[in-house]
Amino acid sequence: MTDNATKSSIGGFLTPRQVEWIRDYVPFVAIALVILLFWAISGDRFMSIRNWTFIAQQTPVLMLLAFAQLIVVTTGSIDISIGSSLAFSAYMGALGMLWFGDGGLVLGIVAGAFVGMVNGLVISLLKIPSFVTTLAMLIIVRALVIIISDGSSIYMTDGSVSGGTNISSVAAPWLLSMGKFPAIFIVAAVVAVLMWIFYEKTLFGQQLKAVGGNEKVLRLLGINVTAFKIKVFAAAGVMVGIAACVNLARAGAATPQAGLMIELDAIAAVALGGTPLTGGYGSVVKTIIGALTLTIVRNGLTIAGVPPSWSQIALGALLIAAIAISLNRSKVEIVK
Amino acid sequence: MSDTESSLLEVENVSKSFGGVQALRSGSFKLERGEVIAVVGANGAGKSTLIKVVVGVYPPDSGEIRIKGRPIDLHDHSVSRMRERGIEVVYQDLALVPNMSAPYNLFLGRTPRKWGIFSDKKLMRDKTREVLDQLNVRTVQDLSRPISDLSGGQQQSIAIGRAIAWGKEIVILDEPTAALGPNETAEVERMVEEVRDRHGTSFIMISHNLDQVQRLADRIIVIHHGVTSQEFTRGKVTADRLVKAITVGE
Repeated sequence: MTDNATKSSIGGFLTPRQVEWIRDYVPFVAIALVILLFWAISGDRFMSIRNWTFIAQQTPVLMLLAFAQLIVVTTGSIDISIGSSLAFSAYMGALGMLWFGDGGLVLGIVAGAFVGMVNGLVISLLKIPSFVTTLAMLIIVRALVIIISDGSSIYMTDGSVSGGTNISSVAAPWLLSMGKFPAIFIVAAVVAVLMWIFYEKTLFGQQLKAVGGNEKVLRLLGINVTAFKIKVFAAAGVMVGIAACVNLARAGAATPQAGLMIELDAIAAVALGGTPLTGGYGSVVKTIIGALTLTIVRNGLTIAGVPPSWSQIALGALLIAAIAISLNRSKVEIVK
Repeated sequence: MSDTESSLLEVENVSKSFGGVQALRSGSFKLERGEVIAVVGANGAGKSTLIKVVVGVYPPDSGEIRIKGRPIDLHDHSVSRMRERGIEVVYQDLALVPNMSAPYNLFLGRTPRKWGIFSDKKLMRDKTREVLDQLNVRTVQDLSRPISDLSGGQQQSIAIGRAIAWGKEIVILDEPTAALGPNETAEVERMVEEVRDRHGTSFIMISHNLDQVQRLADRIIVIHHGVTSQEFTRGKVTADRLVKAITVGE
């Protein structure tokens, strides 16, 4: 056992392996406690089928965005452009449907991949840190959506109503039904399984962790990390594109304001899942738990009648507490 | 000239500068099949630069590198190309990815695929076990653990194992035992001799440990102020003479 692991035993009461085990299960314990707490506070108003259906509808977009963030964070980078990219992708998907019919929705995924690839190209070829690059893209892409949309939204309708002359709308009842429970839950579950296979089982997933572990070694051994990083951001972009399509289905409209500040929730969900922002490690299952915990806390605080500002403080405190407990400091050499 | 007549590796007058500072003025040496050579020199003499130029980390500014008599295209000189030619390096800091397993590290850059997108974990585990057995290392029990959980000596075995698994022609050892204790150093030396005797692998060793150099190397190349200035044959040089060559260049 390593020295670091030995140091991490709590007051000598627990063995390092027990500490590691507890740390591994913090996200699961946290979500259980959160559920019990809100159940105790709000009773059946919280623990009702109606409310859990609502939670199941609210979580998928955040979960998919958290997957995108997980892909990038595992390599030790960060993508804070995903909120703007979500709005851009959803708008391009809706425009695609206007131009080409139902199949045009794919344009949303292509748009997400495009933004991700631009991120990757700028970071890898111009060697600008991911935080700065994606911050710039957050601003640029949001402005781009406003320019393309001219500030107006595109609505999805069930075909029974037609928009006025100033309203762009697409008759897509199938998409609206996809945005409701249980379809949205099934779509999210299928993507989650595919993401688990991609992240935990494929060579690409292994390489994500290796780049986060020691990128310099990979370069020294002749591995083309530059090209790989472009693929990483493009893959995250595809996930944002999928999230955008799900968001379009759920919200029933592509608006230029969609996804404002949601990048922070996605980062929080990844961190709540115990993934260090320094990279090298991560878990799809725990990221799902992180996204679900965040949604439940927001939902529970609203039901309990906590004012929104206090809810934000509670969420911030929860984030720090969860990370303080779950972060394995022996695996993180430097905290910046 | 046929492959068998020419030297395995010939390096002729390679030079390298970084931003106006000439780290390597003129590096030349030859390496024969099954031979162990050592490159020695004071700190900053250009040993590491010479090796990094040879293995493709840095492109040389001038000079020529020939493998089995054939000059390599220095415009297309890279680590991956040299690895394809069977030339591997064990770096001083071992160049291992700490959060990944021993098999992953052993196959870094060469992971075998299954169905195109998955890695063949069974093959990787079996090969790692085989390489460790070949090195007589039986202490690494759980191959699924991150390599950072292994001891320094075990990590060294994996780094050397990776080099000998893929370095069919030449293995370069950059300060192979600098961070190891006496027992682990002896173990590394045993591995080098065993692999050389069994597979005919050639070794280039950079070391500050002159006792070790005199024990292991067939020839010793001295580099002084960026120039490979002198060459000695094993047993034909005293320690004092070697120290003088390293420090004064004479």
